[in-house]
Formats: sequence, structure tokens, C-alpha cells
Amino acid sequence: MNLQAEISKALNYEISKGVTVMDIFIFIIIIAVSIIIAKIVRLNIRRALKEKVPKTTLATIEKAVYYTIIIFGFIIAIPYIGFSLGGLLVAGGFAGIVLGLATQTVLSNLISGLFLMAEKPIQIGDGVSIGDIGGVVKDIRVLSTTIRTWDGIYVRIPNEKVFTSNIYNYDAHAARRFEYKVGIAYKDDADKAVDLIKNLLEEHPLILKDPSPQIFVEELGDSSVNLTIKIWAPSKVWYDVKTEMLWKIKVALEKAGIEIPFPQLVIWKGES
Amino acid sequence: MRNDYFRVFGEYGLSKEIKEDDIEIKIGGKGKVKEYYRKCGEEEIKKFVAAERGKLFVVPVEPVNLPKLGVAEHLLIEFEEPYIIEPGISHTFYLKFPIEIGVFLVDKKDVERIDIFTKTRQKYTLYGSPENGIICRWWKSPLYYEKPKVKKLEEGIMKVDIENEYREWVEIRKLVFRAFDMKIFYDGYAYMRSYVTILKKTMAETSFESRKPKDMKNSIDIYEAKGIKRLEKKFVMEWGL
Repeated sequence: MNLQAEISKALNYEISKGVTVMDIFIFIIIIAVSIIIAKIVRLNIRRALKEKVPKTTLATIEKAVYYTIIIFGFIIAIPYIGFSLGGLLVAGGFAGIVLGLATQTVLSNLISGLFLMAEKPIQIGDGVSIGDIGGVVKDIRVLSTTIRTWDGIYVRIPNEKVFTSNIYNYDAHAARRFEYKVGIAYKDDADKAVDLIKNLLEEHPLILKDPSPQIFVEELGDSSVNLTIKIWAPSKVWYDVKTEMLWKIKVALEKAGIEIPFPQLVIWKGES
Repeated sequence: MRNDYFRVFGEYGLSKEIKEDDIEIKIGGKGKVKEYYRKCGEEEIKKFVAAERGKLFVVPVEPVNLPKLGVAEHLLIEFEEPYIIEPGISHTFYLKFPIEIGVFLVDKKDVERIDIFTKTRQKYTLYGSPENGIICRWWKSPLYYEKPKVKKLEEGIMKVDIENEYREWVEIRKLVFRAFDMKIFYDGYAYMRSYVTILKKTMAETSFESRKPKDMKNSIDIYEAKGIKRLEKKFVMEWGL
């Protein structure tokens, strides 16, 4: 009985005004429990989203959830050690304003980074143009995005700039279209040229069956009958296909005796 | 009587010469250094292998690796004629599918792909819209109600068990299968057994049987060989049938 009374006395011993040893224990237990819960939740999030979410996004989600739970635990625990939540919020508010002004650019980049991760207009490995910079996305961090330009240069773009720029993502869709314009001589048969090109495109494995290529006479030009060729290819390989096919079309047309004329001008001289 | 397909498909030591049609595969050499040579039509490749105990596997593999790996992960088989199925019934038919031939070096701990080639025509297509769709290897096949004869080095047989769970008649012109899910077996020919469940007028689910049929051998699963685990084993065709 004596021991029980001693323990009770020790626990109720007031360290400072209104704060007992028991309160300190409760504070520590709440913080410890919130850290344990945060770790368990983080582990489960990692397991659940590992295969579904990119690494960088997963790391951000994990951190956000982990610290939110700990902050929540801290807010519950702090009245036990004699701090008023209201006072803390006022102090925090002032500190926030000061810090906010001092770190405006950093915060702007941070918030833009979080929005970029949520909206996902670009992903690591995508071929993109952001403003006037084009290349492959190498990393999307909280404050900045890094790009390897088409000519191999490392570029770091602050996320605020990425977020407010026009973004062209060449890999966002499974397929993309490109086109050629080819002129043939007026004396040649355009139907024959169209069939020939159609067969050539049909033979290429990476020119998509559906949406099928379109080949048609678009214009009766000054020097030639102009054909337009519209081709769909998988986004991952469209550039390889584009660079390969134009020459093949030229060779095939010439082999079939269809002329690709130079620009020409017929001049009529007056009788006098 | 077992047929002659094992002249190409099979498991061999590191000294072997195989010739069939216009395919030629050779591996051999003195000591640990072997030379691998393969010819298929006009295409030839040669590689050097340092090995003592490994084996060479020549097997049919998922037809989505050529001409460039990573372009597609699905196979779309378009029917030569549309197929219509009554609500609530199940039915079985056969399709032909294209095969690619994979050559692997195998030891107890690891599988290494050294070559993939094909005699079939390669063509790709888009299933769905450009915004949401997927790139698929394209193939056209008639429907057969009995096991068809196939060109053994070009085509395999796919048994399709189809069930219409929808309340209406459904017309099907194509089926899409995910290469991750495929389970190819071989004996005299490459073989897969698939299941198709029609969920709506324009939606179906496709999957594969992974149990090996009696008297057939397991092919090497390229994705398993690369250490990629299967999560979902079904593919939902949501952009039309």
C-alpha cells in the first residue's frame, strides 16, 4: 500500500505550474504512440503503393503522411506540458508570416512541386518541352525538375517555372501522328503514287494499322501535285519511324518511275 | 508419335546444330568459349559465350519483343469474321497467334536471353484512343472450332474459353491479351489456353491458364526471366470488342 501511495505521490508531483510527472509521461506516451502509428502507416503505404506509384511521388506521400500523424500527435500532447494550443498557434502564425516572407520563392517552388506531383503532367523518362527547353525528364524533385536536353545538357528548372509554363509531353499518349508532304510531277498518276506509298507504309511494322495512315492529294502546286501523308506511330518510336520513312518513300516513287520535280517556272516569250 | 518440332524447340547442351526451313542455330566450340550463330531468312547474328555447364533453350515466347522491345505489351488478335455469342452461354474456339522464337542460356541460378527472332510479319496497332489506348502487336486469325494446323515456326494455337455473362447478344471482332499474363507451352507446337469473360457489350476480361497441359513443356517466361512479378493476372478490354 505504501509503495502504491509513493508512486501516486511521485506521479502527482508538480514539476512546474500545473504540470505533473504524470502529465510528462502522458506527453511522452502520446508522442511515442504517434511515431509508432506514423511508422506503421508509412510502411503500409509503401507496401500498398510500391508497384503503382513512381518512387519520387511515393517518397513525398510517405513523408507527408508520416509528419502529419506526428504533428497531430504533438498537437494532442502539447497541452499536457502546460502549453496553450491557442498561444502556440498565435506564435506559430507570426513565425509563419516571417518565414513565409523570407522563403517565398522556396515555398512557391515547393507548392508547385507538390501540384506537379499530384497533377502529373510529366513523368520521369518522358520527352517534353517546357517553355523553350526540350528534352527528357530525368527527375522531378520537390523544388525543381531536371531535364536532359535533346543535345545532352543537364538543365535544372525551378518547379514554379515548370508549373506556369506551357508543357508539351510527347510521351503522354500511346501514339502520335506526324506527316510528310511529297510533290509528284503533273504527268504522273497520283492514284498510283498513293497506292505505292500505302503499300510501303503497310509493310512497316511500327506504322500503326489503326489509326491507319492517310495519303491524299492536298494541293495542285506551282510545280507539282502535292501529296500529304499522315502517319500514326507509337510515341516511343515515332521519331525513328519519321526519320526512316521519308527517304524510303522517295526511293520507292523513283523506282516506280514517278518523278519528284524541282520547282519550275514556264516563261512565254512575246511574238515581237 | 511425337512429331518433329523438337528439331527447333527444346532444351540442348552447349554443342548443338539445328536446321529447319530457313532457320539455322549453332552453338559450339572448344573449351569454355562457345560461338552462338543464328540465321533466319536474311538475318544473321553471332555471339560468343563463355560457359561450362549451362544449357541452351530454344522456345516460343510472347510475340511482343520485335522489332523493338518495350513498344508493346499486348497482343491484339483481330478475327477474320465477326463472332456473335448468345447471353449466358459459354463456348470454346481456337485462334492462331504469332510466335517469336527465344534463345536462352540457362543455369541453375539464372536465365539469360541471348536472341529473339521471328518468321512472322510484325505489325502494331492502337487499341483504344490515342489519349487512353495501348499499343498492341496486331495479328489476324480466322476462328476455328477444332484445333487448326499451324506453320510450326510461325504460329501457335490458342484455345479460347469464352463466356458471355452479359444479358445481351454480343458481337466480337477482336481480343486483346496482355503479354505479362501469357503462359506459353510447347510440344509439337506453341500452345496457350485463354479465358474470355464478356462483362458488357463493349467490355471483356482476358486471362490465361497457367497449369501445364499433359505432355507439354513450359516455355520460358520472358517477364519472369527478367525478374518482373505478375500482379494482376487479368486484362480488361474496356475500349470495345
